[in-house]
Amino acid sequence: MTPTVQTTLLIAGIGIVGIFIFMVLFYLMIIALDKYLPYQEEKPAEVYLSETEETEEEEIA
Amino acid sequence: MNTLLSLTDNLQTFWHYTGFANAEAGHFIMILFGLVFIYLAITKEYEPLLLIPIGFGILVGNIPFNEAANLQVGIYEEGSVLNILYQGVVKGWYPPLIFLGIGAMTDFSALIANPKLILIGAAAQFGIFGAYIIALQMGFAPNEAGAIGIIGGADGPTAIFTTSKLAPHLLGAVAISAYSYMALVPVIQPPFMRLLTTKKERLIKMKIPRVVSQTEKVLFPIMGLLLTAFLVPSGLPLLGMLFFGNLLKESGVTRRLAETARGPLIDTITILLGFTVGASTQATTFLRMESIKVFAIGALSFVIATCTGILFVKIFNLILPKEKKINPLIGNAGVSAVPDAARISQTLGLEYDPSNYLLMHAMGPNVAGVIGSAVAAGILLGFLY
Repeated sequence: MTPTVQTTLLIAGIGIVGIFIFMVLFYLMIIALDKYLPYQEEKPAEVYLSETEETEEEEIA
Repeated sequence: MNTLLSLTDNLQTFWHYTGFANAEAGHFIMILFGLVFIYLAITKEYEPLLLIPIGFGILVGNIPFNEAANLQVGIYEEGSVLNILYQGVVKGWYPPLIFLGIGAMTDFSALIANPKLILIGAAAQFGIFGAYIIALQMGFAPNEAGAIGIIGGADGPTAIFTTSKLAPHLLGAVAISAYSYMALVPVIQPPFMRLLTTKKERLIKMKIPRVVSQTEKVLFPIMGLLLTAFLVPSGLPLLGMLFFGNLLKESGVTRRLAETARGPLIDTITILLGFTVGASTQATTFLRMESIKVFAIGALSFVIATCTGILFVKIFNLILPKEKKINPLIGNAGVSAVPDAARISQTLGLEYDPSNYLLMHAMGPNVAGVIGSAVAAGILLGFLY
């Protein structure tokens, strides 16, 4: 194996492994986003208002 | 008599300035290429937004003229209008602006909802490194091989950006090759998708992705930028602009900026980029054995990228539980030809099961491919620039 071929394979190997490492980190980042900031369904305005009123009543009591 | 002689002299001088007197066979071959591009764009609608500017640029770039006359009309003549416009390609500032527009029009929800699809975008980058190895074996220098390899990412702006840094003399061949094959994705990919998948695999129905919160969408480009900047700084011009454009879109408070980035700005740059890349293919610099080799390796790199994407999904499925299996027809979308590659997954999926909609799933690896090819470009630049 000539030094050129060796260098070629080294760069290609590092390149493809590097991309996978990068993508795995991206994957972990997205998993973390989902874990710590999960999607919460938006409540309809009436439900939100009634909940707020209840809280206010509790606070007054 | 003298007047007649003077008129003949003037006519002779005029004749020497005309395109007919300066034309060579190569000019007509390139003009034919340009006409084919325009024909494909209009009749077949293959990437018309790119092929029309490139095709017309090829016509403009191959109008023969008397170079010794210093008319300052050629793209390689310093100070000419075309040369000034071409600086955006040579200096590499058109591609990041295109990425800004792409970011402002890309919805990363499909990827955030099913993050394992991002690995398909990584697997498809084998096309880049496969082509890099082949190019070196065919006698290209390492920097040239890197520029040729990037064609496999199926991403025109990334290919132009990388080539402008690594091998500017190959810019025309690499850009034309990348855009030609991107336009031909609907022709190149389906045979390999059919060849590498079984009927049972093509019928796999994937789960509907979860809903992605607005907070996730806003944080994704910010965290993506930071991750990129620290890991692959050489990919920053492209990925930085991609994530910036995406933040403009997702923040919800910069609608005007996002609309400009994904509308007038990207359109303007696409016109300038396509036209000048086309005009850079002057017969004298383009019609060489080197260009034919670039085209051949470019085709191979697309095939390798398509096949490795599909094969990766098949291997990945071996370890995934039954209800989470991925339809390998979306493996082709790991190349970053957005959204054409994803559309092909959808078309083929519907061909085998009219109720199997794969588009939203295929968009995940497709946008991951954009990130992947820019990272690959960053890695190659890091080693070879």
